[in-house]
Amino acid sequence: MSPANTPTHAGRSELFLLDAERTTWHDETLWFVRQKRDKAVYATPEFQALRQLASDIKDHTLSRLAEYLEQFEAAALANGVRVHWAADAAEHNRLVLDIVRAAGASRVVKSKSMLTEECHLNPHLLANGVEVIDSDLGERIIQLRDEAPSHVVLPAIHLKKEDVGETFWQHLGTEKGLTDPQQLTEAARQHLREKFLAAEVAISGVNFAIAETGSVVVCTNEGNADLAIGLARVHIACLGMEKLLPRLSDLAVFTRLLTRSATGQPITTFTSHFTKPLPGREMHVVIVDNGRSKQLGRPDFRASLKCIRCGACMNTCPVYRRSGGHSYDFTIPGPIGAILSPNIDMRKHASLPFASTLCGSCTDVCPVKIDIHAQLYKWRQVLAAEGMLPASKQWSMKLLSRVLARPALFKAGGAVARLGLRFVPHGLTHAPGYNPWAIARELPAAPKQSFRAWYAQQPDHV
Amino acid sequence: MSSSRAKIVAAVRASQPAPLPLPAVPEFTGPASVADFSAVLTAIGGRVVVLDGLPQLAEVLGQLFPANYLLASAMLPATLPVTSDTPIDRLAAVELAVLRAAFGVAENGTVWLPEANMLHRALPTITQHLVLVLDQRNLVATMHQAYAQVTDVGGYGMFLAGPSKTADIEQSLVIGAHGARSLTVLLH
Repeated sequence: MSPANTPTHAGRSELFLLDAERTTWHDETLWFVRQKRDKAVYATPEFQALRQLASDIKDHTLSRLAEYLEQFEAAALANGVRVHWAADAAEHNRLVLDIVRAAGASRVVKSKSMLTEECHLNPHLLANGVEVIDSDLGERIIQLRDEAPSHVVLPAIHLKKEDVGETFWQHLGTEKGLTDPQQLTEAARQHLREKFLAAEVAISGVNFAIAETGSVVVCTNEGNADLAIGLARVHIACLGMEKLLPRLSDLAVFTRLLTRSATGQPITTFTSHFTKPLPGREMHVVIVDNGRSKQLGRPDFRASLKCIRCGACMNTCPVYRRSGGHSYDFTIPGPIGAILSPNIDMRKHASLPFASTLCGSCTDVCPVKIDIHAQLYKWRQVLAAEGMLPASKQWSMKLLSRVLARPALFKAGGAVARLGLRFVPHGLTHAPGYNPWAIARELPAAPKQSFRAWYAQQPDHV
Repeated sequence: MSSSRAKIVAAVRASQPAPLPLPAVPEFTGPASVADFSAVLTAIGGRVVVLDGLPQLAEVLGQLFPANYLLASAMLPATLPVTSDTPIDRLAAVELAVLRAAFGVAENGTVWLPEANMLHRALPTITQHLVLVLDQRNLVATMHQAYAQVTDVGGYGMFLAGPSKTADIEQSLVIGAHGARSLTVLLH
């Protein structure tokens, strides 16, 4: 089986790791973003207080989510917004297509939305004869390459400028070999401007939805959401139900945290509040469940719904940085993706909670204080109880627990191992088939005696 | 009203835990000086120019933008007048927009631009260059004071911090992604 087709994170990572130079670049670039985050965070004296407030506001909102959804809907309806409800991805896609068709439209421009990625909206629209153009530069690049985003904030971080130059040469007719980011961005600007001017429908994601005003708030650096929505006759905002906040003033807390955590910027260039459509225009909000109410009902994992998609846990994760977003094979990669994905499909994503060293760095940087590493550990327990561990791990864990429960057996096993490691050839002790741990590592030299034997020899031993 | 609505709300109600309290947010404040605002806005790619007074506006604009740009504005005689009914192809020709910002935020160099000041919802992003005129007495320290000022969120409104930008190609910062290629705040 080739690494790309293997069903595990470790298997897929092998593909990414084939190019050592690129892996190193990826690792260092994301760590640089993490360092920019630190600089911005340390310059904000009340940052830790803001994290606690954000966490508490999200906990409160989730504990009364049904009421806030109803309040949001009522406010939005009063604003002249049409509100739709989708239980799952299929219903979301159907509703969006219905709105596009009712508008008599065939040209759609979409700004960044992880939710529409999660629902696979683009293929659905394209299959039904609707042109849908991703307008965020990174998203447009990967759309032209027919790839999935590899990071929630930096969707094309797995690519080098040479890759982008090649893609633009093929699709946008730029000069072959062009690698200057300024010139490539200008080419995309010209190409996308035509699309903005022609689009009849603008689709956006939602960063925050405000229950008291019925507003949806969209944060971008490029201004692509504002340009598209400002021009198109119809705006469809696709809203994951966990994005609600009670009050407009809560945005002060979240806008202060979001980009400082994400990229180290003090705020996104555009923080846009869409509340009412203009006369003669339409604004729709599609509220999506798609497994969220189920996750809300899992006390151990409910906190994952507090996520504001800043990507800080990815930038800091030693596993993500060295394995790339595509190795997760889930819309949201990295540590947060590894705790969201088993809720969607436990069997398919069974390896993701193991794609972690449990170092806890993700939890340390999370702006809404999600206990990510603790949830990774808890998912491992759930997966084991459901019999979803790989056979080798299941078998070795069982054996180990038996040995650890029997001191005499442990002692005898230690003696055998110390002797064995000295005499069994290296090729056998480090054989990848038996010992995957040793694929890129050396076992330490076996000690001559056990700790127990050494301890018994100590003069002050009583 | 779809059947999914009832199903979703019921599922959420069944899953949500016992109510937890909604915290009050303290009024975190800080410096709100022109120097702080200007330093942050300059660091994120914007430009700040302090006017001696509003009557100086046309003269300073002429110095900053010597080219004879097609201008949309409610504050100066416009060479390309824009209203909410302006057709898209006319709108796309705007080279310079000069708009009034309501207030600025020192901690992040952002300004609040309400719909009433935009002439057209797409004007702040479709124009090639954007100039925002701000009364320096209307500077606040943090986003907490900023949202306290937004008593009516209106139909549409934005916090705008610097020119449109992207770093999607190898993390190289490029100014002028889709929106305005430059952003200047004129303080008076």
